[in-house]
Amino acid sequence: MADIIAADHVSKWYGQVIGLNDVTLTVPPGITGLLGPNGAGKSTFMKLITGQLKVSKGSVTVLGEPIWGNPALYFRIGFCPEQDSFYDRMTGLEWVAALVRLNGVSETEAQSMAKRALDRVDLADAAGKKIGAYSKGMRQRVKMAQALAHDPDLLILDEPLAGMDPIARRKTIRLIKEWGRAGKNVLVSSHILHEIESMTSNILLVNQGRILAEGNIHQIRDLIDEHPHTVYVKADQTRALARAFLAEDDVLSMKFEEGAVVVQTARPDAFYARLTALAASGELGAIHEVTSPDDNLQAVFEYLVKS
Amino acid sequence: MTPTRAIRPSLVNSALRIFDLSLGQMLWSRRSVFLALLAGGPVALALGIRVILLVTPAQLPMINGARMSGSAIFGLIIWLLYIRFIIPVLGVFYGTSLIADEVEDKTITYLFTRPIPRGAVLVGKYLAYLMCTTLLVLPSAVIVFFIVTPLGRSGIGEQFPSLLADLGMLAAGLAAYGALFAFVGATLKRPLVIGLVFVFAWEPGVLIFPGYLKHATIAYYLQALVPHAMPNEESVVSGILQLFNEIPPLATSLASLAGITLAALWLASRVVQAREFVLEQ
Repeated sequence: MADIIAADHVSKWYGQVIGLNDVTLTVPPGITGLLGPNGAGKSTFMKLITGQLKVSKGSVTVLGEPIWGNPALYFRIGFCPEQDSFYDRMTGLEWVAALVRLNGVSETEAQSMAKRALDRVDLADAAGKKIGAYSKGMRQRVKMAQALAHDPDLLILDEPLAGMDPIARRKTIRLIKEWGRAGKNVLVSSHILHEIESMTSNILLVNQGRILAEGNIHQIRDLIDEHPHTVYVKADQTRALARAFLAEDDVLSMKFEEGAVVVQTARPDAFYARLTALAASGELGAIHEVTSPDDNLQAVFEYLVKS
Repeated sequence: MTPTRAIRPSLVNSALRIFDLSLGQMLWSRRSVFLALLAGGPVALALGIRVILLVTPAQLPMINGARMSGSAIFGLIIWLLYIRFIIPVLGVFYGTSLIADEVEDKTITYLFTRPIPRGAVLVGKYLAYLMCTTLLVLPSAVIVFFIVTPLGRSGIGEQFPSLLADLGMLAAGLAAYGALFAFVGATLKRPLVIGLVFVFAWEPGVLIFPGYLKHATIAYYLQALVPHAMPNEESVVSGILQLFNEIPPLATSLASLAGITLAALWLASRVVQAREFVLEQ
Protein backbone atom coordinates (compact mmCIF):
# COMPACT_ATOMS: atom_id res chain seq x y z
CA MET A 1 0.00 0.00 0.00
CA ALA A 2 1.25 3.46 -0.88
CA ASP A 3 2.52 5.89 1.72
CA ILE A 4 0.01 8.15 3.37
CA ILE A 5 2.35 11.10 3.68
CA ALA A 6 5.59 11.68 1.81
CA ALA A 7 8.00 14.53 2.49
CA ASP A 8 10.92 14.95 0.14
CA HIS A 9 13.77 17.16 1.35
CA VAL A 10 11.33 19.48 3.05
CA SER A 11 12.56 22.62 4.74
CA LYS A 12 10.53 25.37 6.29
CA TRP A 13 11.88 28.72 7.40
CA TYR A 14 10.13 31.44 9.31
CA GLY A 15 12.28 34.36 8.24
CA GLN A 16 15.69 33.52 9.68
CA VAL A 17 14.36 30.75 11.93
CA ILE A 18 14.40 27.16 10.73
CA GLY A 19 11.21 25.28 11.54
CA LEU A 20 12.07 22.11 9.68
CA ASN A 21 15.37 21.24 8.06
CA ASP A 22 15.71 18.98 5.02
CA VAL A 23 13.26 16.35 6.17
CA THR A 24 12.67 13.30 4.01
CA LEU A 25 10.24 10.76 5.34
CA THR A 26 7.26 8.60 4.54
CA VAL A 27 4.35 7.79 6.78
CA PRO A 28 2.95 4.30 6.15
CA PRO A 29 -0.74 3.37 6.44
CA GLY A 30 -2.04 2.76 9.96
CA ILE A 31 -1.23 4.69 13.10
CA THR A 32 2.02 6.63 13.30
CA GLY A 33 3.27 8.66 16.22
CA LEU A 34 5.20 11.89 15.77
CA LEU A 35 7.27 12.32 18.88
CA GLY A 36 9.37 15.27 19.92
CA PRO A 37 9.66 17.98 22.56
CA ASN A 38 7.93 21.32 22.16
CA GLY A 39 9.70 23.43 19.56
CA ALA A 40 11.13 20.34 17.86
CA GLY A 41 9.29 20.99 14.61
CA LYS A 42 6.25 18.76 15.16
CA SER A 43 3.73 21.56 14.77
CA THR A 44 5.52 22.91 11.70
CA PHE A 45 5.37 19.46 10.16
CA MET A 46 1.69 19.16 11.09
CA LYS A 47 0.98 22.55 9.50
CA LEU A 48 2.81 21.59 6.34
CA ILE A 49 0.95 18.32 5.93
CA THR A 50 -2.38 20.00 6.61
CA GLY A 51 -1.71 22.69 4.02
CA GLN A 52 -1.67 25.57 6.47
CA LEU A 53 1.90 26.39 5.56
CA LYS A 54 3.74 26.12 2.30
CA VAL A 55 7.13 24.39 2.16
CA SER A 56 10.11 26.69 1.66
CA LYS A 57 11.94 23.90 -0.13
CA GLY A 58 11.11 20.33 -1.17
CA SER A 59 7.69 18.78 -1.58
CA VAL A 60 4.94 17.25 0.52
CA THR A 61 2.21 14.92 -0.66
CA VAL A 62 -0.68 13.67 1.43
CA LEU A 63 -2.74 10.70 0.24
CA GLY A 64 -0.79 10.94 -2.99
CA GLU A 65 -1.58 14.59 -3.76
CA PRO A 66 0.07 17.90 -2.97
CA ILE A 67 -1.77 19.51 -0.09
CA TRP A 68 -0.98 23.21 -0.48
CA GLY A 69 -3.75 24.94 -2.43
CA ASN A 70 -5.73 21.71 -2.80
CA PRO A 71 -8.85 22.19 -0.64
CA ALA A 72 -10.67 19.17 -2.11
CA LEU A 73 -8.17 16.96 -0.29
CA TYR A 74 -9.71 18.04 3.03
CA PHE A 75 -12.69 15.80 2.26
CA ARG A 76 -10.30 12.96 3.11
CA ILE A 77 -8.43 14.56 5.99
CA GLY A 78 -9.54 15.36 9.51
CA PHE A 79 -7.33 17.65 11.56
CA CYS A 80 -7.38 18.19 15.30
CA PRO A 81 -5.08 21.17 16.01
CA GLU A 82 -3.10 21.71 19.17
CA GLN A 83 -4.43 25.14 20.07
CA ASP A 84 -7.26 25.43 22.57
CA SER A 85 -9.32 27.84 20.48
CA PHE A 86 -13.00 27.76 19.68
CA TYR A 87 -16.08 29.84 19.01
CA ASP A 88 -16.87 29.72 22.70
CA ARG A 89 -20.42 31.01 22.39
CA MET A 90 -21.47 28.04 20.27
CA THR A 91 -22.52 24.71 21.70
CA GLY A 92 -20.44 21.65 20.85
CA LEU A 93 -23.15 20.44 18.48
CA GLU A 94 -23.54 23.80 16.74
CA TRP A 95 -19.79 24.13 16.29
CA VAL A 96 -19.15 20.64 14.93
CA ALA A 97 -22.23 20.83 12.67
CA ALA A 98 -21.18 24.25 11.34
CA LEU A 99 -17.72 22.94 10.46
CA VAL A 100 -19.08 19.76 8.88
CA ARG A 101 -21.40 21.91 6.75
CA LEU A 102 -18.27 23.32 5.15
CA ASN A 103 -17.80 19.84 3.67
CA GLY A 104 -20.82 20.54 1.51
CA VAL A 105 -23.39 18.50 3.39
CA SER A 106 -26.93 19.69 4.15
CA GLU A 107 -27.90 21.13 7.52
CA THR A 108 -29.78 17.97 8.50
CA GLU A 109 -26.94 15.72 7.46
CA ALA A 110 -24.42 17.95 9.25
CA GLN A 111 -26.45 17.75 12.45
CA SER A 112 -26.59 13.98 12.35
CA MET A 113 -22.88 13.65 11.48
CA ALA A 114 -22.01 16.03 14.33
CA LYS A 115 -24.16 14.09 16.79
CA ARG A 116 -22.50 10.82 15.77
CA ALA A 117 -19.04 12.33 16.15
CA LEU A 118 -19.84 13.82 19.55
CA ASP A 119 -21.19 10.47 20.63
CA ARG A 120 -17.94 8.78 19.54
CA VAL A 121 -15.93 11.07 21.78
CA ASP A 122 -18.39 10.70 24.66
CA LEU A 123 -19.73 14.22 24.46
CA ALA A 124 -23.31 13.38 23.50
CA ASP A 125 -24.59 14.55 26.89
CA ALA A 126 -22.75 17.86 26.66
CA ALA A 127 -23.58 18.48 22.98
CA GLY A 128 -26.04 21.26 23.85
CA LYS A 129 -23.68 22.99 26.27
CA LYS A 130 -21.66 26.05 25.24
CA ILE A 131 -18.02 25.22 24.47
CA GLY A 132 -16.96 28.08 26.76
CA ALA A 133 -18.30 26.02 29.67
CA TYR A 134 -16.43 22.84 28.69
CA SER A 135 -13.53 21.49 30.73
CA LYS A 136 -10.10 21.18 29.10
CA GLY A 137 -10.67 17.49 28.42
CA MET A 138 -14.07 18.14 26.86
CA ARG A 139 -12.56 20.83 24.67
CA GLN A 140 -9.95 18.37 23.45
CA ARG A 141 -12.67 15.86 22.67
CA VAL A 142 -14.87 18.33 20.79
CA LYS A 143 -11.83 19.14 18.65
CA MET A 144 -11.48 15.43 17.93
CA ALA A 145 -15.18 15.28 17.05
CA GLN A 146 -14.88 18.00 14.39
CA ALA A 147 -11.89 16.16 12.93
CA LEU A 148 -13.57 12.79 12.59
CA ALA A 149 -17.17 13.87 11.89
CA HIS A 150 -16.84 13.57 8.11
CA ASP A 151 -15.24 10.10 8.34
CA PRO A 152 -11.89 11.03 6.78
CA ASP A 153 -9.32 8.54 5.47
CA LEU A 154 -6.56 10.28 7.39
CA LEU A 155 -6.83 11.74 10.86
CA ILE A 156 -4.09 14.15 11.88
CA LEU A 157 -4.04 14.80 15.61
CA ASP A 158 -1.74 17.39 17.17
CA GLU A 159 -1.24 16.63 20.88
CA PRO A 160 -4.79 15.24 21.22
CA LEU A 161 -4.39 13.98 24.78
CA ALA A 162 -3.02 17.19 26.29
CA GLY A 163 -4.96 18.16 29.37
CA MET A 164 -7.37 15.24 29.33
CA ASP A 165 -8.27 13.46 32.55
CA PRO A 166 -7.16 9.80 32.78
CA ILE A 167 -10.53 8.34 31.82
CA ALA A 168 -10.94 10.56 28.77
CA ARG A 169 -7.32 9.83 27.87
CA ARG A 170 -7.94 6.09 27.98
CA LYS A 171 -11.10 6.42 25.90
CA THR A 172 -9.38 8.61 23.34
CA ILE A 173 -6.49 6.19 23.00
CA ARG A 174 -9.02 3.41 22.51
CA LEU A 175 -10.82 5.47 19.88
CA ILE A 176 -7.63 6.13 17.97
CA LYS A 177 -6.72 2.46 18.05
CA GLU A 178 -10.20 1.50 16.84
CA TRP A 179 -9.77 3.97 14.04
CA GLY A 180 -6.53 2.30 13.04
CA ARG A 181 -8.08 -1.15 13.25
CA ALA A 182 -10.90 0.03 10.97
CA GLY A 183 -8.31 0.59 8.27
CA LYS A 184 -8.07 4.35 8.69
CA ASN A 185 -4.81 6.20 8.96
CA VAL A 186 -3.79 8.32 11.90
CA LEU A 187 -0.81 10.57 12.47
CA VAL A 188 -0.69 11.61 16.09
CA SER A 189 1.84 13.93 17.67
CA SER A 190 2.88 14.07 21.27
CA HIS A 191 5.81 14.97 23.45
CA ILE A 192 5.07 12.00 25.69
CA LEU A 193 6.43 8.66 24.61
CA HIS A 194 4.08 6.77 26.87
CA GLU A 195 1.07 8.24 25.07
CA ILE A 196 2.37 7.36 21.64
CA GLU A 197 3.42 3.92 22.77
CA SER A 198 -0.08 3.17 23.96
CA MET A 199 -1.40 3.79 20.44
CA THR A 200 1.27 2.52 18.07
CA SER A 201 4.76 1.15 17.83
CA ASN A 202 5.47 3.06 14.65
CA ILE A 203 7.07 6.40 15.41
CA LEU A 204 8.88 9.35 13.92
CA LEU A 205 11.28 11.05 16.30
CA VAL A 206 11.74 14.72 15.59
CA ASN A 207 14.03 17.21 17.29
CA GLN A 208 15.43 20.60 16.33
CA GLY A 209 13.68 20.53 12.97
CA ARG A 210 15.15 17.17 11.95
CA ILE A 211 13.88 13.61 11.92
CA LEU A 212 16.12 11.70 14.31
CA ALA A 213 14.63 8.27 13.83
CA GLU A 214 11.81 6.48 12.09
CA GLY A 215 10.44 3.06 12.87
CA ASN A 216 9.82 0.89 15.88
CA ILE A 217 9.44 2.44 19.26
CA HIS A 218 10.99 -0.39 21.26
CA GLN A 219 14.53 0.52 20.28
CA ILE A 220 14.40 3.80 22.14
CA ARG A 221 12.10 2.58 24.84
CA ASP A 222 14.93 1.31 27.05
CA LEU A 223 16.68 4.66 26.86
CA ILE A 224 13.52 6.44 27.91
CA ASP A 225 13.14 4.30 30.99
CA GLU A 226 16.48 5.48 32.30
CA HIS A 227 15.07 8.98 32.69
CA PRO A 228 12.58 9.98 35.35
CA HIS A 229 9.20 11.00 33.96
CA THR A 230 7.35 13.99 35.41
CA VAL A 231 3.56 13.99 35.62
CA TYR A 232 1.39 16.92 36.67
CA VAL A 233 -1.92 15.76 38.17
CA LYS A 234 -4.66 18.32 38.86
CA ALA A 235 -7.18 16.87 41.28
CA ASP A 236 -9.60 17.64 44.10
CA GLN A 237 -7.75 15.67 46.78
CA THR A 238 -4.08 16.12 46.03
CA ARG A 239 -2.87 15.05 49.50
CA ALA A 240 -4.82 11.79 49.44
CA LEU A 241 -3.47 11.13 45.96
CA ALA A 242 0.05 11.88 47.11
CA ARG A 243 -0.30 9.36 49.93
CA ALA A 244 -1.43 6.73 47.42
CA PHE A 245 1.47 7.53 45.10
CA LEU A 246 4.02 7.33 47.90
CA ALA A 247 2.98 3.79 48.67
CA GLU A 248 4.51 2.74 45.33
CA ASP A 249 8.24 2.30 44.85
CA ASP A 250 8.36 3.77 41.32
CA VAL A 251 7.57 7.27 42.59
CA LEU A 252 10.87 9.10 42.97
CA SER A 253 9.71 12.51 44.21
CA MET A 254 6.66 14.68 44.60
CA LYS A 255 5.77 18.31 45.08
CA PHE A 256 2.54 20.22 45.48
CA GLU A 257 1.36 23.07 43.31
CA GLU A 258 -1.93 24.93 43.50
CA GLY A 259 -4.62 22.25 43.18
CA ALA A 260 -2.13 19.79 41.76
CA VAL A 261 0.58 17.32 42.64
CA VAL A 262 3.68 16.92 40.48
CA VAL A 263 5.17 13.44 40.54
CA GLN A 264 8.43 12.05 39.22
CA THR A 265 8.21 8.38 38.40
CA ALA A 266 10.73 5.85 37.16
CA ARG A 267 8.05 3.68 35.55
CA PRO A 268 5.51 5.80 33.71
CA ASP A 269 3.53 2.81 32.40
CA ALA A 270 2.79 1.51 35.86
CA PHE A 271 2.11 5.00 37.17
CA TYR A 272 -0.38 5.89 34.42
CA ALA A 273 -2.15 2.54 34.80
CA ARG A 274 -2.55 3.14 38.54
CA LEU A 275 -3.68 6.71 37.98
CA THR A 276 -6.34 5.63 35.50
CA ALA A 277 -7.61 3.01 37.93
CA LEU A 278 -7.75 5.61 40.71
CA ALA A 279 -9.65 8.03 38.50
CA ALA A 280 -12.09 5.32 37.43
CA SER A 281 -12.80 4.25 41.01
CA GLY A 282 -13.26 7.83 42.16
CA GLU A 283 -12.25 6.85 45.69
CA LEU A 284 -9.74 9.69 45.97
CA GLY A 285 -11.95 12.34 44.38
CA ALA A 286 -11.99 13.68 40.87
CA ILE A 287 -8.81 13.88 38.79
CA HIS A 288 -9.27 16.76 36.36
CA GLU A 289 -6.16 16.97 34.30
CA VAL A 290 -2.97 15.02 33.67
CA THR A 291 -0.14 16.61 31.78
CA SER A 292 3.52 15.90 31.37
CA PRO A 293 6.06 18.63 30.76
CA ASP A 294 8.28 18.01 27.80
CA ASP A 295 11.51 18.01 29.78
CA ASN A 296 11.20 14.21 30.06
CA LEU A 297 11.59 13.80 26.37
CA GLN A 298 14.06 16.62 26.02
CA ALA A 299 16.39 14.71 28.37
CA VAL A 300 16.07 11.62 26.24
CA PHE A 301 16.77 13.56 23.07
CA GLU A 302 19.83 15.15 24.56
CA TYR A 303 20.96 11.68 25.56
CA LEU A 304 20.28 10.32 22.05
CA VAL A 305 22.07 13.16 20.34
CA LYS A 306 25.10 12.86 22.59
CA SER A 307 25.30 9.10 22.13
CA MET B 1 -3.72 5.76 -3.64
CA THR B 2 -7.37 6.66 -4.27
CA PRO B 3 -7.66 9.99 -6.06
CA THR B 4 -9.59 12.73 -4.29
CA ARG B 5 -13.22 11.70 -4.73
CA ALA B 6 -15.08 14.89 -4.03
CA ILE B 7 -15.67 17.79 -6.33
CA ARG B 8 -14.01 21.06 -5.41
CA PRO B 9 -16.72 23.18 -3.75
CA SER B 10 -17.70 26.45 -5.39
CA LEU B 11 -16.65 29.79 -3.99
CA VAL B 12 -20.23 31.04 -3.71
CA ASN B 13 -21.60 28.00 -1.84
CA SER B 14 -18.62 27.93 0.48
CA ALA B 15 -18.85 31.67 1.12
CA LEU B 16 -22.52 31.33 2.05
CA ARG B 17 -21.69 28.63 4.56
CA ILE B 18 -18.96 30.75 6.08
CA PHE B 19 -21.48 33.60 6.18
CA ASP B 20 -23.86 31.39 8.20
CA LEU B 21 -21.09 30.45 10.58
CA SER B 22 -19.76 33.99 11.00
CA LEU B 23 -22.90 36.10 11.28
CA GLY B 24 -23.83 34.96 14.78
CA GLN B 25 -20.21 35.29 15.92
CA MET B 26 -20.00 38.80 14.54
CA LEU B 27 -23.34 39.96 15.93
CA TRP B 28 -22.45 38.86 19.46
CA SER B 29 -18.86 40.03 19.42
CA ARG B 30 -17.42 42.88 21.50
CA ARG B 31 -17.04 44.83 18.30
CA SER B 32 -20.83 44.88 17.99
CA VAL B 33 -21.07 46.92 21.18
CA PHE B 34 -18.82 49.47 19.52
CA LEU B 35 -20.97 49.29 16.39
CA ALA B 36 -24.14 49.80 18.44
CA LEU B 37 -22.60 52.83 20.15
CA LEU B 38 -21.58 54.30 16.81
CA ALA B 39 -24.97 53.68 15.26
CA GLY B 40 -26.71 54.95 18.39
CA GLY B 41 -24.75 58.22 18.44
CA PRO B 42 -26.76 60.01 15.72
CA VAL B 43 -30.01 58.74 17.24
CA ALA B 44 -29.02 60.20 20.61
CA LEU B 45 -28.06 63.46 18.91
CA ALA B 46 -31.35 63.62 17.01
CA LEU B 47 -33.28 62.97 20.21
CA GLY B 48 -31.26 65.67 21.94
CA ILE B 49 -32.13 68.20 19.22
CA ARG B 50 -35.77 67.23 19.40
CA VAL B 51 -35.90 67.51 23.18
CA ILE B 52 -34.12 70.89 23.20
CA LEU B 53 -36.59 72.26 20.67
CA LEU B 54 -39.49 70.93 22.70
CA VAL B 55 -38.46 72.27 26.10
CA THR B 56 -36.94 75.60 25.07
CA PRO B 57 -38.35 78.36 22.92
CA ALA B 58 -35.25 78.16 20.69
CA GLN B 59 -35.89 77.86 16.98
CA LEU B 60 -34.01 76.19 14.15
CA PRO B 61 -31.07 78.28 12.89
CA MET B 62 -31.45 80.71 9.97
CA ILE B 63 -29.51 80.18 6.74
CA ASN B 64 -29.50 82.90 4.05
CA GLY B 65 -32.49 84.50 5.71
CA ALA B 66 -34.55 81.29 5.75
CA ARG B 67 -35.09 79.03 8.72
CA MET B 68 -33.30 75.65 8.49
CA SER B 69 -35.61 72.68 7.97
CA GLY B 70 -35.64 69.26 9.63
CA SER B 71 -34.59 67.65 6.38
CA ALA B 72 -31.58 69.96 6.22
CA ILE B 73 -30.58 68.87 9.73
CA PHE B 74 -30.99 65.26 8.63
CA GLY B 75 -28.79 65.98 5.62
CA LEU B 76 -26.19 67.54 7.90
CA ILE B 77 -26.19 64.45 10.14
CA ILE B 78 -25.84 62.20 7.10
CA TRP B 79 -22.91 64.24 5.81
CA LEU B 80 -21.04 64.84 9.00
CA LEU B 81 -21.71 61.75 11.06
CA TYR B 82 -22.51 58.94 8.69
CA ILE B 83 -20.42 59.66 5.60
CA ARG B 84 -17.43 61.31 7.20
CA PHE B 85 -17.24 59.19 10.33
CA ILE B 86 -19.46 56.16 10.96
CA ILE B 87 -19.27 54.42 7.58
CA PRO B 88 -15.48 54.70 7.13
CA VAL B 89 -14.78 53.80 10.76
CA LEU B 90 -16.96 50.71 10.55
CA GLY B 91 -15.27 49.75 7.31
CA VAL B 92 -11.86 50.07 8.94
CA PHE B 93 -12.64 48.26 12.17
CA TYR B 94 -14.61 45.40 10.67
CA GLY B 95 -12.88 45.09 7.31
CA THR B 96 -9.37 44.87 8.72
CA SER B 97 -10.44 42.27 11.28
CA LEU B 98 -12.22 39.81 9.00
CA ILE B 99 -9.26 37.45 8.81
CA ALA B 100 -7.13 39.00 11.58
CA ASP B 101 -9.65 38.05 14.29
CA GLU B 102 -9.66 34.43 13.20
CA VAL B 103 -5.86 34.41 13.14
CA GLU B 104 -5.61 36.09 16.53
CA ASP B 105 -8.18 33.72 18.05
CA LYS B 106 -6.41 30.81 16.32
CA THR B 107 -9.70 29.56 14.91
CA ILE B 108 -8.62 30.08 11.29
CA THR B 109 -7.18 26.55 11.30
CA TYR B 110 -10.67 25.04 11.46
CA LEU B 111 -11.74 27.00 8.37
CA PHE B 112 -8.57 26.51 6.36
CA THR B 113 -8.58 22.74 6.82
CA ARG B 114 -12.01 22.27 5.30
CA PRO B 115 -12.71 21.53 1.62
CA ILE B 116 -13.50 25.10 0.64
CA PRO B 117 -11.42 27.66 -1.24
CA ARG B 118 -9.64 29.93 1.24
CA GLY B 119 -10.97 32.97 -0.55
CA ALA B 120 -14.48 31.85 0.43
CA VAL B 121 -13.59 32.40 4.07
CA LEU B 122 -12.90 36.05 3.37
CA VAL B 123 -15.91 36.53 1.12
CA GLY B 124 -18.25 34.80 3.58
CA LYS B 125 -16.99 36.88 6.47
CA TYR B 126 -17.27 40.03 4.36
CA LEU B 127 -20.92 39.22 3.63
CA ALA B 128 -21.51 38.71 7.35
CA TYR B 129 -19.90 42.09 8.03
CA LEU B 130 -22.14 43.73 5.43
CA MET B 131 -25.26 42.17 6.88
CA CYS B 132 -24.27 42.97 10.45
CA THR B 133 -23.42 46.62 9.81
CA THR B 134 -26.31 47.41 7.47
CA LEU B 135 -28.74 45.86 9.95
CA LEU B 136 -27.58 48.36 12.56
CA VAL B 137 -26.62 51.44 10.56
CA LEU B 138 -29.61 51.64 8.23
CA PRO B 139 -32.23 51.43 11.00
CA SER B 140 -30.23 54.06 12.88
CA ALA B 141 -30.49 56.41 9.87
CA VAL B 142 -34.20 55.68 9.52
CA ILE B 143 -34.81 56.50 13.19
CA VAL B 144 -32.85 59.75 12.87
CA PHE B 145 -34.90 60.61 9.79
CA PHE B 146 -38.18 60.17 11.61
CA ILE B 147 -36.98 62.16 14.61
CA VAL B 148 -35.58 65.21 12.85
CA THR B 149 -37.40 65.49 9.52
CA PRO B 150 -40.73 66.67 10.98
CA LEU B 151 -38.91 69.66 12.54
CA GLY B 152 -39.44 73.01 10.88
CA ARG B 153 -41.23 72.93 7.57
CA SER B 154 -40.24 69.49 6.25
CA GLY B 155 -42.73 66.74 5.46
CA ILE B 156 -41.86 63.10 5.97
CA GLY B 157 -43.69 61.94 2.84
CA GLU B 158 -42.00 64.54 0.71
CA GLN B 159 -38.54 63.61 1.99
CA PHE B 160 -39.02 59.85 2.01
CA PRO B 161 -37.47 59.20 -1.45
CA SER B 162 -34.31 60.96 -0.34
CA LEU B 163 -34.19 58.68 2.71
CA LEU B 164 -34.18 55.65 0.40
CA ALA B 165 -31.31 57.19 -1.57
CA ASP B 166 -29.47 57.80 1.72
CA LEU B 167 -29.91 54.19 2.74
CA GLY B 168 -28.59 52.99 -0.62
CA MET B 169 -25.64 55.34 -0.31
CA LEU B 170 -24.84 54.13 3.22
CA ALA B 171 -24.98 50.49 2.09
CA ALA B 172 -22.72 51.29 -0.88
CA GLY B 173 -20.29 53.03 1.47
CA LEU B 174 -20.22 50.10 3.88
CA ALA B 175 -19.64 47.73 0.96
CA ALA B 176 -16.79 49.75 -0.55
CA TYR B 177 -14.97 50.63 2.67
CA GLY B 178 -15.41 47.08 4.00
CA ALA B 179 -14.00 45.51 0.86
CA LEU B 180 -11.07 47.91 0.68
CA PHE B 181 -10.10 47.30 4.30
CA ALA B 182 -10.65 43.56 3.97
CA PHE B 183 -7.90 43.72 1.35
CA VAL B 184 -5.71 45.91 3.58
CA GLY B 185 -6.34 43.54 6.52
CA ALA B 186 -5.44 40.46 4.51
CA THR B 187 -2.31 42.04 3.07
CA LEU B 188 -0.66 44.30 5.61
CA LYS B 189 0.67 43.84 9.10
CA ARG B 190 -0.76 46.95 10.77
CA PRO B 191 -4.01 47.32 8.90
CA LEU B 192 -5.88 49.27 11.57
CA VAL B 193 -3.35 52.09 11.70
CA ILE B 194 -3.20 52.24 7.92
CA GLY B 195 -6.99 52.23 7.71
CA LEU B 196 -7.37 55.07 10.17
CA VAL B 197 -4.72 57.10 8.39
CA PHE B 198 -6.54 56.52 5.09
CA VAL B 199 -9.89 57.57 6.49
CA PHE B 200 -8.89 60.50 8.69
CA ALA B 201 -5.82 61.85 6.93
CA TRP B 202 -5.59 60.73 3.32
CA GLU B 203 -9.25 61.10 2.29
CA PRO B 204 -9.95 64.52 3.86
CA GLY B 205 -6.49 65.67 2.79
CA VAL B 206 -6.65 64.86 -0.90
CA LEU B 207 -10.29 65.90 -1.26
CA ILE B 208 -9.30 69.47 -0.43
CA PHE B 209 -6.90 69.80 -3.32
CA PRO B 210 -7.80 69.96 -6.98
CA GLY B 211 -6.43 67.25 -9.21
CA TYR B 212 -6.68 63.53 -9.64
CA LEU B 213 -5.60 62.31 -6.21
CA LYS B 214 -9.18 62.45 -4.96
CA HIS B 215 -9.96 59.61 -7.36
CA ALA B 216 -7.94 57.42 -4.98
CA THR B 217 -10.57 57.78 -2.26
CA ILE B 218 -13.96 56.27 -1.62
CA ALA B 219 -15.44 59.42 -0.13
CA TYR B 220 -15.11 61.22 -3.49
CA TYR B 221 -17.45 58.74 -5.19
CA LEU B 222 -19.71 58.34 -2.19
CA GLN B 223 -20.56 62.01 -1.90
CA ALA B 224 -22.10 61.97 -5.39
CA LEU B 225 -24.76 59.61 -4.08
CA VAL B 226 -25.88 61.90 -1.27
CA PRO B 227 -29.28 63.35 -2.16
CA HIS B 228 -28.91 66.32 0.22
CA ALA B 229 -27.21 69.49 -0.82
CA MET B 230 -23.99 70.03 1.06
CA PRO B 231 -24.68 72.48 3.91
CA ASN B 232 -23.87 75.98 2.65
CA GLU B 233 -24.37 78.34 5.57
CA GLU B 234 -21.40 80.50 6.38
CA SER B 235 -20.03 78.50 9.26
CA VAL B 236 -16.62 76.97 9.80
CA VAL B 237 -18.01 73.47 9.35
CA SER B 238 -19.74 74.25 6.11
CA GLY B 239 -16.69 76.15 4.96
CA ILE B 240 -14.66 72.98 5.38
CA LEU B 241 -17.35 70.90 3.73
CA GLN B 242 -17.46 73.20 0.73
CA LEU B 243 -13.90 72.25 0.04
CA PHE B 244 -15.12 68.76 -0.75
CA ASN B 245 -17.88 70.01 -2.98
CA GLU B 246 -16.49 68.70 -6.25
CA ILE B 247 -18.50 65.62 -7.01
CA PRO B 248 -18.35 63.20 -9.95
CA PRO B 249 -21.41 62.22 -12.03
CA LEU B 250 -23.74 59.68 -10.40
CA ALA B 251 -23.10 56.93 -12.94
CA THR B 252 -19.33 57.33 -12.58
CA SER B 253 -19.65 57.12 -8.82
CA LEU B 254 -21.81 54.03 -8.85
CA ALA B 255 -19.55 52.28 -11.33
CA SER B 256 -16.43 53.30 -9.39
CA LEU B 257 -17.81 52.15 -6.04
CA ALA B 258 -18.88 48.83 -7.55
CA GLY B 259 -15.47 48.51 -9.20
CA ILE B 260 -13.60 49.32 -5.98
CA THR B 261 -15.72 46.83 -4.01
CA LEU B 262 -15.34 43.98 -6.47
CA ALA B 263 -11.67 44.59 -7.19
CA ALA B 264 -10.77 44.89 -3.50
CA LEU B 265 -12.70 41.72 -2.65
CA TRP B 266 -11.10 39.80 -5.49
CA LEU B 267 -7.63 40.96 -4.50
CA ALA B 268 -8.28 40.20 -0.83
CA SER B 269 -9.42 36.68 -1.60
CA ARG B 270 -6.36 36.16 -3.83
CA VAL B 271 -4.12 37.26 -0.97
CA VAL B 272 -5.87 34.94 1.50
CA GLN B 273 -5.58 32.12 -1.01
CA ALA B 274 -1.84 32.56 -1.40
CA ARG B 275 -0.71 33.78 2.00
CA GLU B 276 0.49 31.67 4.92
CA PHE B 277 -1.02 32.63 8.25
CA VAL B 278 1.42 31.69 10.98
CA LEU B 279 -0.33 31.43 14.34
CA GLU B 280 1.45 32.54 17.51
CA GLN B 281 2.44 29.52 19.58
